[in-house]
Amino acid sequence: MRLTIRILLISLAVSLFCVLYPIYVIRPFRAQGVRELQVALAVSQYRPVITLISACVALLALAGYWQLRESPRRRIIASAGAVLAVALAVMARVNVYELMFHPIEHSSFTAASQTKLEKDEKVIAVLVNGEARAYPIRSMSYHHLINDTVGSRAIVATY
Amino acid sequence: MRDVAGLRLTFHLAGINNQNFLMRDEQTGSFWQQISGLAVSGPLKGQQLTLVLSDELTLATWKAEQPQGTILDDIPKYAKQYAKKDWDVRMKKVATVIDFPERGMKARDLMLGVRAFGVSRAYSYEQVIKEKLIADRVGGEPVILVVGMDGESVRMFRNRAPDVEGVSDFYRLDTNHAAALMMDSKTGSEWNFQGCAVSGKAQGVCLQQIPVLKDYWFDWRNYNPKTTIFEAKK
Repeated sequence: MRLTIRILLISLAVSLFCVLYPIYVIRPFRAQGVRELQVALAVSQYRPVITLISACVALLALAGYWQLRESPRRRIIASAGAVLAVALAVMARVNVYELMFHPIEHSSFTAASQTKLEKDEKVIAVLVNGEARAYPIRSMSYHHLINDTVGSRAIVATY
Repeated sequence: MRDVAGLRLTFHLAGINNQNFLMRDEQTGSFWQQISGLAVSGPLKGQQLTLVLSDELTLATWKAEQPQGTILDDIPKYAKQYAKKDWDVRMKKVATVIDFPERGMKARDLMLGVRAFGVSRAYSYEQVIKEKLIADRVGGEPVILVVGMDGESVRMFRNRAPDVEGVSDFYRLDTNHAAALMMDSKTGSEWNFQGCAVSGKAQGVCLQQIPVLKDYWFDWRNYNPKTTIFEAKK
């Protein structure tokens, strides 16, 4: 096998591992072991850089391979591999959880006396420096967290 | 609190660990466990977020206590996907990936968990709601668990009032009077759901509130392996 193809395959394998391993370990409805979770989180931490390098290496390898004047079919397959490496570098930057549970980007609040929610709705309530805030469980069990400032203190509410 | 190690962090939902969410901060990329506020991976690993005392209340109870408060609005775009009122009861049907079938407990039993005075202890939510007032000891400290007028909200207080010698016996008043829902034997004072005496010798005194977390047994037990469970005296 050509050296350039080997390099391309290795960088593709590295990118695939970086993207797929955390998804495999940290997926819902699977028990997470302490060790594998640590590895998966460490991979998540460094994968934006690793997959970027790996995509660059794959593109350079493709450029090298292109010079070898191989058959068009082989060139297409090699190109597809490099494109996949680039796609994985993009995927490594996507937060799947925020695609599933959309985050609250612009929060607004209503006075307790004005809310239209029913009285038996459940809320998570805090009182910080005299300022009272409530987060309805109906929305918190969807968004799961909100970055907020209450009583001039920065807090995160999570459910 | 999201100020830690000199930084103000902004959190995102970023993963799941045995059905307890992981959060990630924008500033350092560290991962934080939802239940504990502990950084479990990344540059801030080992750091701990300070817990803000919070209550799980019905809207009616909260509005009565905090008429000046503000409540988070629905995000209209996603409101259709929001949960029904009995979300935590519906979730009981969802399978768990870990289980601790000890002491007759089922994975999705709803518990009220407390970590205080060096120990962790759990109470069956159903049992607390039924009994309305429970006197107990947590790590040797006398506490009371009391159910609000709405029959759903629960708070725990340290059973030591400033300026009142020793431990008092509390009784749940059988009343629909929102201002006072229990009475203590020592001072004969009436107390409200915020743990403050509204009449009697102790008037104006407030008991110290202790945070409790409503959680499923499997999750509580996973993060509190040494937890004890309250059992009613027979």
